[in-house]
Amino acid sequence: MSGPASNERRERVIKKAADKAALEMTWTLERLRGRPDRKPAYDYFLKLAADGLSPAKAAERTGRPVVNLMCLQAPLELIHAAGFQPFKVFSGSPAEGGLAAQGFPALMCPMLRSVLGAVQVNRFPGSAAWVLPTTCDWLVKFPEMLKLAGTEIEAPLHWLELPHLKDGPEGRERWLDEVYRLKFFLEKLAGGRKIDRRQLRASIAVYDEAWRALGALAEKRRRGQLAAPWFFLLTGAFFLDRPEHWSEAVRRVLPQLEPGPEAPRVFLAGSPIFLPNFKLLWLMEEAGLAVAADDLCSGERLLPGGVNYSDASEFGLVSALAQRYHQGCLCPTFIDNDRRVNNILGPARQGDFKAVVFQVLKGCHPFDLESLTIEGPIRDQGLKYLRLETDYSPEDSQNLLTRLEAYRRTLGEDHESQHRP
Amino acid sequence: MAVTLRSLRWAVQHLSFALLIYGGRFGVSLGPALPCFACPYVAGCGGYCYLMGLQGYIGFGMTLAAVGGPRLLAALGWLAVFIMLVAFLGKACCGWICPFGLVQDWLTALRNKLGIRERRLSPGAKSALAPLKYALLVYLALVPPLVTIGLLPEDFSLPFCNICPGKSLLPLFVGEARYLGLDMNNFVTFAFSLTLLIITGLMLVGMFFKARFFCLFCPLLALIHLLKPLTVLRLVKAPELCLGCGNCRRACPMAIEEVYQEKISPDVQTGECLNCGACLEACPTDSALKLKFLKYGFSSSRPGFGGLEKKP
Repeated sequence: MSGPASNERRERVIKKAADKAALEMTWTLERLRGRPDRKPAYDYFLKLAADGLSPAKAAERTGRPVVNLMCLQAPLELIHAAGFQPFKVFSGSPAEGGLAAQGFPALMCPMLRSVLGAVQVNRFPGSAAWVLPTTCDWLVKFPEMLKLAGTEIEAPLHWLELPHLKDGPEGRERWLDEVYRLKFFLEKLAGGRKIDRRQLRASIAVYDEAWRALGALAEKRRRGQLAAPWFFLLTGAFFLDRPEHWSEAVRRVLPQLEPGPEAPRVFLAGSPIFLPNFKLLWLMEEAGLAVAADDLCSGERLLPGGVNYSDASEFGLVSALAQRYHQGCLCPTFIDNDRRVNNILGPARQGDFKAVVFQVLKGCHPFDLESLTIEGPIRDQGLKYLRLETDYSPEDSQNLLTRLEAYRRTLGEDHESQHRP
Repeated sequence: MAVTLRSLRWAVQHLSFALLIYGGRFGVSLGPALPCFACPYVAGCGGYCYLMGLQGYIGFGMTLAAVGGPRLLAALGWLAVFIMLVAFLGKACCGWICPFGLVQDWLTALRNKLGIRERRLSPGAKSALAPLKYALLVYLALVPPLVTIGLLPEDFSLPFCNICPGKSLLPLFVGEARYLGLDMNNFVTFAFSLTLLIITGLMLVGMFFKARFFCLFCPLLALIHLLKPLTVLRLVKAPELCLGCGNCRRACPMAIEEVYQEKISPDVQTGECLNCGACLEACPTDSALKLKFLKYGFSSSRPGFGGLEKKP
């Protein structure tokens, strides 16, 4: 069906989805605002989120043109050094996902589905370019799916072909070529202005400070002083303002934090959690579980950070960034990712937690498979393990809550007070 | 300013340089068994590199001529001193104390200041070069006895010193440039001095473009590594904590791969490790790497990334 009537109907559906998505965000932020553990320093992040998760807002706030990104592989420092504000495109909105549901496979990555919907409601306008790594199959097919949904990305699109082997020199070199191609793309986008090593060093320092602030925040959470929904609000707001401002705001939060109610502490692994969909976080709190740490790419892994270089030449800096964003990445998309489980077992040995909850978003195949492969090593370590398969819809909430409550009971009395001094 | 591992090392290196290059002028004499390039050709130096002794009067060659005599006892005594120093200091002799190491680090700092790219060797080239330092060790230990038994002329008695760039470059710091000249005394001295000149030129280029380039060939590094079972300073890894980010590999001035690759053993004190601690400061994972001195030491940590400040 085509013609003015169908166009009008489509406009109506899109508007309805946009309104509903806005309501979802409002509801999440209201729930956060109403919490007894709200601190004055959170207001900055609440305001950022309330103003809208859009690159246009980020551009306005930072005074820089925005480059939209997906996943974690494009070095933020490189984009920043070229004079752009990196903006991670994400969506946790069921309404936006619902908009894109028609015509696509039923079992589809909910995050990508929601991003498709978000593009349809025109939530990401005003960006100078899109940079997409070939992280997973859904992402590779993203532009095609956009076309099928009757829309497309208006800004230039740059692909980064991600080598899925990262431990050896071959993958390393191929990825370095890709990062150099990105550098040339950004320089062209900036009107021919070269990225020099002084700018690169300055940008590395800026993101290093943000990474340190994120680390300090994660440490507070490990000590039971920061509830997971706040943590994910703060990380979710990262790309909405200058990284320096975000770091300063996080530093203002830190001294205001204090121990929360005691609860069994768990490690949250698996697919990412994005605003406004804090479903699992609310349910875990309701079931009496506290997230002590996570390895979500929307959480503690938000910033690869920790970029070191002994060679301060331009080549040395670009190589350092390329390696840090490739070898340092623990995404299940990689083939040689066997050390990824150390990120869970290491802190577990230090007594930070004794249980792991692994979230699989239905249709996210790399995480789905990884939830099975890492279960053995985790159980061998004596940790309890719960695999939860879900999506962005609220329908399975009661079922999830029942499972989480049962899991909470299996953790036993000795998990009642695990707060570190 | 906070005291970090890096700033501490930098300070120790400069202090050591001052002591070993100029110490003799102030009455400092640390003996002839130092496990670093404290070059005896530097007038007024504060102590001597053991390699000279090993080739010369406390080495295998001269003691061969004096078996049973007091010179043998002196040789064994200085050997014991050398072993004790190595046991105590380990590869910190290279990473923290060696004046020639500091000269190389200055060249690296200059290259970084100029923004010139470092040229790293391929793993294949590195493994091909690795045995060379052991070959040099054999060369410097076995040629002097041939002089002793009369098979080679006297000019071969210090076969390594004659081609060591420490001999040509370190005396420059006391205004002495004559070891950069050609020695026309006879054909052997001419050949040695020409070889030294060529090696010095090549090393200067190598050391400018590649951090710690000379250490790849250093026979003293090889000798210290042979004494590894006796050393108390060790780089150890907790492979079960490592996330494989590769920062250690990139930070290492010797571009050591093994620390990064190791997935089972805690022993990552490899033949070329200088115990400089650069990998430790670059490791963003809590306790994944440790530089241990008996039960003390520095440990990698996320807050300590880029500048370790505290002991574990």
